[in-house]
Amino acid sequence: MTDETSVKQIEAFAHPAAQAALGVEGGTTGWKGELLHIHIAPAASYEMEELTEATCVAGRGIEGDRYYLGTGTYSPRPDVREITLIEQEALDALARNDPPLQEGPVVLAPEEHRRNLTVRGVPLNHLVGRRFRVGEVVLRGGRLNFPCKYLENLLDRPLFLPLYNRSGLNCGIETSGTIRPGDVIELLD
Amino acid sequence: MSDRLIMKLRVVGARLTTPDVLMLDLQHPKRPALPAWTAGAHVDVMVAGGVRQYSLWGDPEDRGRYRIAVKREAGGRGGSKWIHDHAREGSELHVSAPRNHFGLDGKGGRYVLVAGGIGVTPILAMARVLAAGEADFTVHYCARNAAQAPLLDELRAVCGDRLTTWFSQEGRRLDVHTLLARAAGAELYACGPNSLTAALETAIAAQGFPADLYHREHFAALSDADFVPDSFEVVITSSGRKLHVPADRSLLEVLRDNHFVRGSSCEIGVCGSCECGYVSGDVIHRDAVLGVKARASRLMPCVSRARGSLTLDL
Repeated sequence: MTDETSVKQIEAFAHPAAQAALGVEGGTTGWKGELLHIHIAPAASYEMEELTEATCVAGRGIEGDRYYLGTGTYSPRPDVREITLIEQEALDALARNDPPLQEGPVVLAPEEHRRNLTVRGVPLNHLVGRRFRVGEVVLRGGRLNFPCKYLENLLDRPLFLPLYNRSGLNCGIETSGTIRPGDVIELLD
Repeated sequence: MSDRLIMKLRVVGARLTTPDVLMLDLQHPKRPALPAWTAGAHVDVMVAGGVRQYSLWGDPEDRGRYRIAVKREAGGRGGSKWIHDHAREGSELHVSAPRNHFGLDGKGGRYVLVAGGIGVTPILAMARVLAAGEADFTVHYCARNAAQAPLLDELRAVCGDRLTTWFSQEGRRLDVHTLLARAAGAELYACGPNSLTAALETAIAAQGFPADLYHREHFAALSDADFVPDSFEVVITSSGRKLHVPADRSLLEVLRDNHFVRGSSCEIGVCGSCECGYVSGDVIHRDAVLGVKARASRLMPCVSRARGSLTLDL
């Protein structure tokens, strides 16, 4: 399953969600965020592994990740999954049970949420149809991520509702390059 | 509870307990604690070309390592042979978080555990927990002889005089009828080859031993050679979508073709990975996992089918 033809990605700005957002005024500007963690997994259901640096390949994903290799749970379905991000702020809110949607706090460690990049100070929900950079790599926001029962099953914890509307952002990679924790994240346009 | 996280674990111990059974101790290379488990649980081990299930026989209180025992199955599909050939101290095995279809009922009371050969693994974990809880239990262990009884020393250490061994080469064979008569009112747990569980089940039916007190772990799916699959129709509750399952394809395959993502592992109805809910339909259950109660609303799409039309809770 590593031949490139098995990897079906939708170009981020070709996704209907990005199409609808492109050129529409709005979204916060002037922010500056930081990359906290990079995680990849070799195949569906495999534990995420933290990297100190990662190679991002335009149109493909992060080298070694399941969506780069075509071995992910959702790889058979064409989608925007080259690289996925989630806000540390959302994880912090879950940990303080805010809003109180479940029995109590849900503590999701960085290796548990299954997004590639954990970021701080980045308004992900404002970035559909927008270009932004992580260090030297340029990303395109394709669509909002949506929580799935798969993660709930895997971790055996209630996550679907708590993650609703703050589940992160699925992006395409426009410019290849190497990223590292600590990299600055900024809006381009 | 279908999908389980897969971890790259390190083999920290590998030695033979009998000439054809390899004991493996597994640790997480980066974390001190592995996912918790309860007696009777098993893990999936990724092997060349597939997945195999192995019960955990260690102490559930010991979160630092998983202990499995792998019998080299000469006539098998090659998974156990691959493990025997590849697992060495320091090597890596890809192992899922544990799952339990064979849990000890916490009602207390009396327990009778029956193990046959490599079926000793979940029974040993159960005996350990029962002994620690000072429960009233006995263990019956069937094997050809002591030298070919995996984990015999470990089981003896845990059970002491609560263990009875039945070694056929010594002319001692377990009499299931006597066993059942003495087990009246006790919870009965059995794990072993089909010949052992079949004998037990025949006796259970003949003697009217209560079916709800009997629990078994399956090594292999029930093969019903006479089963002739028919085509059937499926309705997806959430969308009203209709799917056709031809006679020569599994429900799981058809769901996958239509982008319903399901985890799966064994695809022979024993592991429980692909479990799915249904709302209505005349289901032909062919798995070896689901209990009678669960079967009213759950099915295993890898092997189970339906007559006519089936409405899936998807």
